[in-house]
Amino acid sequence: MSGALILGLMTVLFLLFGYMGVPVAFSLMGGVIVGTLFTPVKLSSMIQQMFNGVDSTALLAVPFFLLVGELMTSANVVVRIANLSQALVGHLRGGLAQVVTVFSMFFSGMSGSSSADVAVLSRTMAGPMANEGYRPEFTAALIAAASTIAALVPPSILAIVYGAVGNVSIAGLFMGGVVPGLMIGFGLMIYCYFFGPAGFRRPRTTLCQFADAGKAAVLPLMIPVILLGGIVSGWFTPTEAGVVAVAWILLVVIPALNRGHLRRLPVDFAHAGLIYSLPLITIASATAFGWLLAYLRGPIVVSGWITAAAGTDPHMIMFLLVVLFTIVGDFIEPIPAVIIFMPIVNALTDAASINSVHMGVVLIATLAFGLITPPYGLALLMSSKFVGVRFSSALKASLPIYVVFFVTIAFTIFFPRVILWLPKQVIPESVGCFKSPAGAGYICPP
Amino acid sequence: MAGASVLVLQRQRHLKWRALDGLERLLMILCGVSIVGFSSSVLFDILTREIGHPWLWLQEVTSTFFTYGVFIGAAVATRRNDHLYLTAIAEALTGRSRLVVEVFNRAVVLVVGLCMVYFGFLNFLSGFTSFRMPSMTPIASLYAVIPISGLLIALFTIEQLVNGWRRGFEDPAPFKPSAADDAAEAARTLLGQRVMPP
Repeated sequence: MSGALILGLMTVLFLLFGYMGVPVAFSLMGGVIVGTLFTPVKLSSMIQQMFNGVDSTALLAVPFFLLVGELMTSANVVVRIANLSQALVGHLRGGLAQVVTVFSMFFSGMSGSSSADVAVLSRTMAGPMANEGYRPEFTAALIAAASTIAALVPPSILAIVYGAVGNVSIAGLFMGGVVPGLMIGFGLMIYCYFFGPAGFRRPRTTLCQFADAGKAAVLPLMIPVILLGGIVSGWFTPTEAGVVAVAWILLVVIPALNRGHLRRLPVDFAHAGLIYSLPLITIASATAFGWLLAYLRGPIVVSGWITAAAGTDPHMIMFLLVVLFTIVGDFIEPIPAVIIFMPIVNALTDAASINSVHMGVVLIATLAFGLITPPYGLALLMSSKFVGVRFSSALKASLPIYVVFFVTIAFTIFFPRVILWLPKQVIPESVGCFKSPAGAGYICPP
Repeated sequence: MAGASVLVLQRQRHLKWRALDGLERLLMILCGVSIVGFSSSVLFDILTREIGHPWLWLQEVTSTFFTYGVFIGAAVATRRNDHLYLTAIAEALTGRSRLVVEVFNRAVVLVVGLCMVYFGFLNFLSGFTSFRMPSMTPIASLYAVIPISGLLIALFTIEQLVNGWRRGFEDPAPFKPSAADDAAEAARTLLGQRVMPP
C-alpha cells in the first residue's frame, strides 16, 4: 500500500472513531496502530512515541496553569474579578456584554485555557445576563468568542504546546500573542458597543467604588503579574512561573480570601491531577500520529503542494496555512492539530524564511477562531450547552463576531513588525535577535 | 473518609462494579500525589538553584511524577468516561444502535489498551539497557507506566463492556448528582469533554 493511501486510511479511521464517540487519544492511536501494520515500523516504536510525546520539560507548564484555573474557580475567587470588570466597564453601552469581555481578558491571563474560560464565564455571567434581558444566543456567542482570548495571551496552553513541539520560544509566543489577544478583546468591546444589545447601563462607578473593587481583586490579579513579570525578567521559565503562581494561590490567595476552602484542597489536587492527564494523553497519541505522518512523508507532500501554489511568498504561505488550519480546526482539537501538522509548519516556515514566533502566533490565532466555528467549535458548543440554547442559534449569533477574528488574523499575517514588537522589546532572543558584538543592544533579523 | 468518597464518580453507576471503586479511589489519590509531587519538586528545584546548591536529581523526580501522572490519569479517566471526545454521538442513540456503537467504541479502546500492555512491556524490557542521569536508574522505571496504564485501561473497558452488555449502556435511572459529582462535573467542564449541542 502506498504512503498516501496509508495516510488517508489513518486519517479516515481517526475521524471515524472520533465521530463515533471513541476518546480522541484512542481514536488517534487506533489510526496509528492500523496504519503501522502496513509499514515496516514496529508497533513497539509507536507506543514508545507516546512516551516521547509527554517526555518534555516545556509541557510541565500545562498542569500548573490548569491547576491555577482549577483552584481559582473552585475557591470561588473569580467573582472578585467579575466585580472589578463591572466597575471598569459596566457603565458603557452594552453593559454586561462589555463586562464579559473584560472579565475574560483578566481571567485569560491566569488560566491559559479557553475551556476553563467558557466554564467560568458561563457560570458567573450567563445568569445575570439572562436576568437583564440579553438574548441567550447572543450571550453564548459572546462568551465563546471572548474565551478564545485565553488561547492567545499568556499563559496560553496552546502556545506552550506549540512551542514545546515546534521548538519555538514559548516566552516569545506568549509576548507575540498579546497584540492579537487584545485586538480580539477590544474588537468584541467595539462590536458590543455599536452593534450589540444596549443592555442595562449601570451608573459610572465612583473612585471609591472602583478602589474597593480593585482592592478586593488585587490578590488574584497578582497572578498575571507574577507570570509575565517572572518570564519577562528572566527569573522563571514558563513552567517555573506556573508553579510560583500555584504557590501564590495556595499560600496567599486562598488563605486570605476563602480560608474555608483549604479543607477541599486534597480533592482539588486529585481532580487537577486527572484533568491535566487528559490533554497530555492526547498529546502523547498525537505525537505517535504525527511521527507516522512524517515517516510516510506527509509533511513533504503537503508542503510541496503549498509551495507549488505560493512559491516562497511568506504572506501567501501563511494565508494557505491559515486556510488549512481553519479547515482542520473545524474538525479536530487545536492541540492534536498543532502536533500532527507541526512538521508541515516547520518545513514551510523554513522555506519562506518566516519568523517562527510570527508563524506560531498566526496559527494559534487561527486555531482560536476554530473554537467558535462549526461543526466542532468547542468553545461555542460548551457555551451553548451552559447557556441552554441550541448550537445552531448560537452559531447564527456568532457570525457577525467572525469579522473581529478575520480582521485580527489578517492583521497578524500582514503586520509582523507589530506582532513581534513586544517580544523584541522584552525577550529579544525569543525572535532570533542576538547580542551585538559591540556590547550594547541586539541585532535582529529583518 | 469523606474526602475519599468524593473521588469515585457516581455517574453511569450501572457500568461499574463496586469492587473496582477502591481502585478508582486509589488512582485518583495517585493523580493528586503526582501533581503535588512534581509541583513540589519544581518548587524545590527553583529554591535550591536560587541558593546556589541545585539538587540535580530533582529533575528526575519531576519527570517521574509527571509521566506517571499522565498515564495513571488516562487510565482512571477511562473508568470515569472523562476523556476528551470529538462527539458524544452514542449518547443520543437508543436501543440496539446504541449498543452496537458503544460496544464498537469500547472495542477500539480495548485494542489500544492491549497494545499498550504488550508493546509497552517490550519497551519496558528493553529499557534496562538505558539509564537516567544522574541517578543511573534504568529508564525501564519510567517505561513501566505504559503497560500498567494499558492494563488498567483494558480492565476498565472490560468492566464497561460486560456491564453495558448485561444492563444496557443507557443510564436506567438518571441519578441525582451529589455535591461530590458536582465537583467532579466542575472539574470536567474545565476541559469541556463530551459536549453536545442541546
